[in-house]
Amino acid sequence: MISARHLTRRFGARTAVDDVTFDVGRSEIVALLGPNGAGKTTTLRMLAGLIAPTSGSVAIGGVQLTRATGPSLRMQIGFLTEAPGLWDRLTVRENLRVYAGLYGLADAEVRIDRVLELFAIAERGTARTAELSKGTRQKVALARTLLHDPTILLLDEPTSGLDPEVTRSVRMLLEQRRAAGCSILVSTHNLDEAERLADRVAVLDERLVAIDDPAALRARLTTGRTIIRVAGDPSAYVAAVRSIVGPAVDVAIERSTLALQLAHPDRQTPALVAALVAAGAQVLEVRAEMPALEDVYVHLMSAAGDEA
Amino acid sequence: MGHIRPLLGKEFLDLARNKTTLVPVAIVTVLSLTLPFGIAIAIPAITGHALGEDSDLVRVSQIASAAPSLSDDGRIQLFLFQQFLMMFLITPVTGAMALASHAIVGEKQARTLEPLLATPLGTFELLTAKVLGALLPTMTISGMGLALYLGGIAIFAAPGVGGAMASMRTLLLVALVSPASALVSLQAAILISSRVNDARTAQQFGVLIIIPLAGLMVAQFSGSIWLSSAALAAIGIGLLIAWLVLTFVSVALFDRETILTRWR
Repeated sequence: MISARHLTRRFGARTAVDDVTFDVGRSEIVALLGPNGAGKTTTLRMLAGLIAPTSGSVAIGGVQLTRATGPSLRMQIGFLTEAPGLWDRLTVRENLRVYAGLYGLADAEVRIDRVLELFAIAERGTARTAELSKGTRQKVALARTLLHDPTILLLDEPTSGLDPEVTRSVRMLLEQRRAAGCSILVSTHNLDEAERLADRVAVLDERLVAIDDPAALRARLTTGRTIIRVAGDPSAYVAAVRSIVGPAVDVAIERSTLALQLAHPDRQTPALVAALVAAGAQVLEVRAEMPALEDVYVHLMSAAGDEA
Repeated sequence: MGHIRPLLGKEFLDLARNKTTLVPVAIVTVLSLTLPFGIAIAIPAITGHALGEDSDLVRVSQIASAAPSLSDDGRIQLFLFQQFLMMFLITPVTGAMALASHAIVGEKQARTLEPLLATPLGTFELLTAKVLGALLPTMTISGMGLALYLGGIAIFAAPGVGGAMASMRTLLLVALVSPASALVSLQAAILISSRVNDARTAQQFGVLIIIPLAGLMVAQFSGSIWLSSAALAAIGIGLLIAWLVLTFVSVALFDRETILTRWR
């Protein structure tokens, strides 16, 4: 488990991370979301013990991360840096072998075989990393990150620039690691990835703007409108809708949908559907309007900007 | 300490795939071999003028503590071969300087430093692996050159010169002063490499380290000084102490935060 308490990091007069507190539990994936320069990489580096916070603390599995505990705690951490950071003149296996040695792994070759198979790159083991595609390099970097079976994964933009197929395989792998009990913190720009992958999303813009599960974050911006999609022209059914909700309610027609604010959605929705069906409508979909995570993100960031 | 070995292995592999980096040390080694044999053996043989005919050389060679049984030619050859032995002090330094200068800044520029620092590898281990990674290959080449040098003296020099070269002075130069001066130079280069954010700057500073060694060599050639065995032993021990101090300073000044966050 990762525990960050009041993490602050200043570089001269500039504050990169300001009073950030959060936990990442066992078997949990938290996505760190934020614009460029929001402090995501600085936060990850502090959690990995690469740079010290100006104030605040980090604990890994209940042990405070300090200069003295850093080396032993780093045995538990797999840190994927923003760039793959592979030695170009060495082969994939040679790169991994060096890291196996640095982690003191006795069964290095077995582990190397395993991670290469995990990422389906066993046949590239003897290739020099300079010859690899960007996606394969990223796979090798991920393989290196997992080589020592870390219980903590800190991943800086793990799917940045990868094609959808590789992205999907990375996502599946992270889900497997989560199931195996890992605590995973992933920094990303990709809202879709955050939503698909993360149990919780932490929105960072120097300080922690919000942290919650994606649905709860979306609920913050829920309009409360009900969306009804029908076959054909929806304007033909406005009268049927008004017969249930009354003339005062604004019924918007947006392409093939009717959108309206219901005072009592649970009670009014069945009656509304019945009225539409009685009026001859083919009701294709009825749902509460939920904003996309992107809308929530933009809203949170603009609110954070206003506060600043 | 266990982390030095895998990183050292990486340094050797990297070097093996980029052999051109070792060309400077090979060139200096070849020069260290051809110059003395050219001057002490080939030129007198070609011109027909013995070394002993040059009164200045006879005078200067007196400072070499040669066996009385050696002829004038033999004593001058011994003096020259002893002087050119100093070239083997510079060989590993010049060769390894490029490697050492790039050691840290090179890793940073290749963006391989951050994942490395995220492992349990300590600063001392990182810097030691970098120094040894530069030192051992060049010392090996230099050592092979030295073997050829001593073998060549035994074969081509005047009788008794080979035996006179096999002295405590030669042993101290080869086994103590040479590696110790290389360690100091390389450790200084590594220190510079971890304090500047550009490999060219590191190399520019690194080259300055050769100046005192070159000065020592010139002083010996001019006959101004003659380093006795005791002086060489003292210099060697002094250099080893300087290396230890430099290692401590390198570790203390290695600012991983600045390297990670400020260097581009």
